[in-house]
Formats: sequence, C-alpha cells, structure tokens
Amino acid sequence: MSAYPRPGVDAPIPVKIVIAGGFGAGKTTFVGAASEIAALSTEAAMTDLSVGIDDLSAVRGKSTTTVALDFGRRTIDEGMVLYVFGTPGQDRFWFMWDDIARGAAGAIVLIDTRRIADGFAAIDFFEDRRVPFIVAINLFDDAPRHPLESVRDALSLGADVPLVACDARDGRSVVPVMVTLVEHALARSMAGA
Amino acid sequence: MNPLPDDPRLVPFYALTQGRTQPDGRELPWETMVVATSEGRSAQPKLHFEQRAIVDLCGRSVSVAEIAAHLGVPLGVAAVLVSDLHTAGYLAVHRPSVTDSGRPRREILERLLDGLKAQV
Repeated sequence: MSAYPRPGVDAPIPVKIVIAGGFGAGKTTFVGAASEIAALSTEAAMTDLSVGIDDLSAVRGKSTTTVALDFGRRTIDEGMVLYVFGTPGQDRFWFMWDDIARGAAGAIVLIDTRRIADGFAAIDFFEDRRVPFIVAINLFDDAPRHPLESVRDALSLGADVPLVACDARDGRSVVPVMVTLVEHALARSMAGA
Repeated sequence: MNPLPDDPRLVPFYALTQGRTQPDGRELPWETMVVATSEGRSAQPKLHFEQRAIVDLCGRSVSVAEIAAHLGVPLGVAAVLVSDLHTAGYLAVHRPSVTDSGRPRREILERLLDGLKAQV
C-alpha cells in the first residue's frame, strides 16, 4: 500500500488519534507500530501553544522550551489518512495536551501494569475534556498479568470505558485497539455525547 | 538534524516567520493536508529555500506535521510558512473536518472504522 495518494488525486481527509499514558508506558512504540512510515519526530515550542500566564511561569526559560512529539501516518483508504500522535511523557508538558487532543477522534491511554497509577493523569484529562478514550494495557514481557477487571477497579474506570490489552510493539496487535477506540468514539457521537 | 527536546535553539526559526508563531489567517491544525498548486510549482524558482522545500514536499499531499518534521522546524513555524504560501496561492490546504463540538463528523468516524476493520 502506498503511503501517499498519487499526484493529481485530491488530498485525503486527515483524521487524528492520540496515544497517551505515563512515562515509559509504550507510547512511542505504539505510534511506531501503528504507522506505515517510520515514525516522525517534530517539536512544538511553548510559543506555538495557547498557554496562559500561569503555565508560562511554571516553565523555566519561557521562550526556549520545546517539546518533542512523535507521530505516525497510516493510510485508511484511498481518500483518508490517519495521524497517530503520542503525548510527551513528562508531566511538565501537560500544557500542550489540549493542542494535541484538539480535533482528535479519540485517545488511547496506555497502561503499564507495574505502574498503573501513572495512567490516572491521562484518564482524568480526557474525562475532563470529554475526549472519547479507551484504556489499553500494554503487555510488557516481565509485567504481572492481572485480570482486566482488576485493572479497571484499580483505575476506578467507569463501566462505559472500553478496556483492552495489547502488545504495543506488534502492528497486528495495535489495529484492534484502534478499532475499539473508533467504535467507542462513534457510539459516543451517536449518543450525542 | 533534529534538536534534542531541550535544545534552546529557537530564535533562528522564527526569523523565517518574521517572529510570527501563529498563521495570520485561520489556524492550521497539525494534521491539515497540504498539496502544491500548479501556480506553486511554477513559482518554485523564485521562492526562498524553505518555501521551495515545502512546495517540493507537497508534490504529494502531506500534513503540516510532516512538513515540520522533514524541515526540522517547530510545528508553529511550519504552520506560518504553509499559511503564507497558501495565501499566495501556491499551496492548497485541506483542514480536518470537525463538528461544533470539535470532534470528527460521524461519517468520518464511520469511514475510519470501516478502513481500520479492513486492516485487522
């Protein structure tokens, strides 16, 4: 499958999803596995972002702070392309989550079962902003395997939020996760949420 | 070529945009698709280096984010450069289609779902 439409054909419709989670939860790995091109890295500067005075004062060197962003691209059909953006892992970059989430179809919150609590911040963010999201447990080889429902309890996750498991390294494993997210976003859209 | 996340190098990029960090007109989301027009292709020889590189990249449709990554400039700089070239008629831009609530329209989600399911 070609990464790009042929010249002369209308530009495809872009759609975006967000991969979030704590530091080391596998976001960059997921983005790479979901992408048909080698994942790209770009940067956003504080000055690119719509931030308040309070946010600026919280970050040192206000005009020089940049944040690296990983993203990938995947052809959905001849006229649609999906962009998969990973959030920066460090907490001090919270200010840019609104920019990343703007216009997104939804978000996948990756969880490492050794550090379940690292997922709380992302879950709170998407709940607060009413961004459709699902939770995906990234099955690290050496991580303890918990029943999904015990992870749901540990995260205080509502029964309406889909919870799945995946191997973020595996391109075949990440596609069903994205299907689950879009099904959820569509159901929310139909419910008028 | 890409700077490290904490690389303080910033000012030279904004010289390209005369210090602007936002497009003059409507906002350009990162996933906005950009493609060169025939006017853009014929104007290439007289364009600045960065502008020429963008029109080159946009021989096939690419996003603002991809332009930023390939040029090694921050997203905001890429958005300003693309916006200027669009105003000049050298690039066509296709913004993502979202509803008043800021989410993709239902038809878009349905098409995305169908496409992804076909790839499972």
